[in-house]
Amino acid sequence: MKRLRVAITGLTSCSGCQLALLNCEAELPQLLELVDFRFFPMACSPATLESDYDAALVEGCLSMPHEQELLLSLRKRSRYLVAVGTCAAWGGVAALKNDQDREQLRQQVYGTDSTAALETFSPLPLNAVVQVDATVTGCPPEKEELIGLLTGLLKGSLPTLISYPVCTECRMKETLCLLTERSALCLGPLTLGGCGALCPALGVPCEGCRGPVPEANLAEAMEIYLQKGYAQEAACERLRRFCPGWRA
Amino acid sequence: MRYMEISKLQRLLDLLRQQGELHSPVLGDDGVTRFELLPPGKLPDLAAIRTQLPPKKYLLHPQETILTYQADAGYRVPLATVPAMILFGLHPCDLAGISYLDRIFLGDEPDQLYLSRRAALTLIGVSCTPDEFCSCRLYPSPLEAWYDLFFQQSVDGIAVSIGSPRGAELMKILDDVMEERELLLPEDTRCFFGRKIPLPPESELDQGLPEWQVLAGHCIGCGACSVCCPTCSCFDVLEFGGLDGSSAERLRRWDNCLFRSHAEVAGGMSFQKDRAQRFRYRYRHKYRGFGQVKGVPGCTGCGRCRAFCPAGLDLRALAGKLEGDAS
Repeated sequence: MKRLRVAITGLTSCSGCQLALLNCEAELPQLLELVDFRFFPMACSPATLESDYDAALVEGCLSMPHEQELLLSLRKRSRYLVAVGTCAAWGGVAALKNDQDREQLRQQVYGTDSTAALETFSPLPLNAVVQVDATVTGCPPEKEELIGLLTGLLKGSLPTLISYPVCTECRMKETLCLLTERSALCLGPLTLGGCGALCPALGVPCEGCRGPVPEANLAEAMEIYLQKGYAQEAACERLRRFCPGWRA
Repeated sequence: MRYMEISKLQRLLDLLRQQGELHSPVLGDDGVTRFELLPPGKLPDLAAIRTQLPPKKYLLHPQETILTYQADAGYRVPLATVPAMILFGLHPCDLAGISYLDRIFLGDEPDQLYLSRRAALTLIGVSCTPDEFCSCRLYPSPLEAWYDLFFQQSVDGIAVSIGSPRGAELMKILDDVMEERELLLPEDTRCFFGRKIPLPPESELDQGLPEWQVLAGHCIGCGACSVCCPTCSCFDVLEFGGLDGSSAERLRRWDNCLFRSHAEVAGGMSFQKDRAQRFRYRYRHKYRGFGQVKGVPGCTGCGRCRAFCPAGLDLRALAGKLEGDAS
């Protein structure tokens, strides 16, 4: 069988999504039979771009000109381009301060006397610059999602985005509802499922790390948070931690 | 009438355990009551009005493989031997929920996975006291609350009724803890099930009813109403290729008719574009039934959808308007 020719790289990110794939240790030998990781600088060297790929898997958001060049180059060379992880899909934590002045932020971090030229811009999700064919969200995505993505691509299919929130999986697991029973600021109703409601099952309210669910009913969720005693700004701030696009 | 003193409950449970895996409502440390394996020495939570998930979870798993393919073996339904299991503590609404699922999954073409699990189940019902979320009283149901044995709780003890040959066999084994007594017992909520009710109106539900928009406006789309419903059994079907490059499996996963993806078809088209339309669809299925359960309302009145909805949505007011209170 022809192996799937894949490029995997990370832009502005913690590399955790790529690591999540490398952590699939039990499956890696079989994956190698199916997938030819042609460009995967985090895992193997040398890493030089080749003429074309069946798919490019890109982690992280865009915040530097050279990342944009790399992304455009991968887009041109790849049949499919897949945004992997919350940063690539929504901007993620790097985009947390996108609503603030970048020069002020630079001074806060590097001092007023710093002359170091910072060639950065406000972090963007991949689809702000290129066409994204599929998205696997998560911080990081679940192992099954990453393997499913690759085995799916091998058959020429793209993953379908889950359209229900974390709450659905929480209920399927028969977990205590932290929002209704503990009045916790749980972002479950607004956040894409697929994680198996891992955090609420451990008693930790959903932090929204997978980004917004389609048709999120922000107005009603805010109403519920207000009833539980949370200020709108507190709820919004938490929502924006992983997806700066949230506005109440 | 066969009767059991409440002090003999522990002994009864031990006898039941000899007949199969014993599951019953158990109050968890987190305050959630779930149907789960009842360990020896632990008492079932018989005071609970409702478990978070209904017993359908034993018959249709939230997510399960329904078909596998392998190059050498072809297509296969992953049937496994299901050990005998006794569900103890089912309320009449949940028994009716199982009989509804039976109609769907054991009809013309029985679902083999469902059938194997259903055959392994012994159903023991227990009477209950409805709370403010229950609506069995408001909408008596044509669904039968089938059981093998039924335990009616009263201040004096428990009266036991036999509902099937399997129940009669089981009763012989439980004879040790039973005695004969003459008791005058009030009706329990079983009386709201298996009733001859007038067929729901054939008329189409008005698409322009403002209630659909109001419900849609408040719904946060969490899916709790269908996940926790004893009769909701829509599922999504997904297929995944295996790591060997040739095998594949097909899964089914509980779905909800209020989700965008539920009525979506190839090309991103949808039969129910907005949530208000989906509420009308959901209402129609729950209160009037269609397809193979046409004329059979799918609501057993268990109250879970209301009790577990974070937005406090309640279809009963609308049902009162459209169906009228049958009580």
